[in-house]
Amino acid sequence: MIASPDLESADLVVEFYKDGVDRTLIRENLRRSPEERIRALESLQRFAAEVRRAGALTRKDDAK
Amino acid sequence: MTQFETLLSALKKEGVSFIIIGGVAATFHGSARLTNDLDVVYERSAENIERLARAVAPFKPYLRGAPEGLPFRFDPATIKRGLNFTLRTDVGDFDLLGELTGVGSFAAVEVESLEASLFGATYRFINLNALIRSKRAAGRAKDLEVVAELEVIREERDQQR
Repeated sequence: MIASPDLESADLVVEFYKDGVDRTLIRENLRRSPEERIRALESLQRFAAEVRRAGALTRKDDAK
Repeated sequence: MTQFETLLSALKKEGVSFIIIGGVAATFHGSARLTNDLDVVYERSAENIERLARAVAPFKPYLRGAPEGLPFRFDPATIKRGLNFTLRTDVGDFDLLGELTGVGSFAAVEVESLEASLFGATYRFINLNALIRSKRAAGRAKDLEVVAELEVIREERDQQR
């Protein structure tokens, strides 16, 4: 079966992106339990929200 | 920020039949990417729709990105009329899918899911192969980036076996 051009190009894009994946991060994650990964995700979300809040506050102060 | 445990516990408490997909499922399988919402596929029976509406109602669900003040009610009638809902709630963003592109209905996703313990309860997660297929089928650039990471996870897991 011949793959459609779209599927072929999607494969190329995926292969390109795979080169950029940090395998050390993946290996570290795979050593954790699924629950530990989801707890880490929640913690990362909290951190990202705090950084966004700080950024927004700074932009507001700069605009004054 | 989405309070995953709060949302999942509420669904569990009401006995909703659902399967975790999307970014949280990717995290479950080992992804290091940050996701901001909870995505699930839900079963479309009348009883389950009733349970779903009851479980989500306390969190004041509203259509994400829609103008304020629309007469939107996340009740059984609305859920029956629709299929997929992208909601904003008091405990974070919550996407509910009646069908998953590339995999199919709840029954089709269930065949390709696994049970796991999380936050002291048991939940179903889409398996890695079906998750990759769904992301490929979605086909957006950001999905292909996720596919790349998930395929690396699959390779790493295969090497560990």
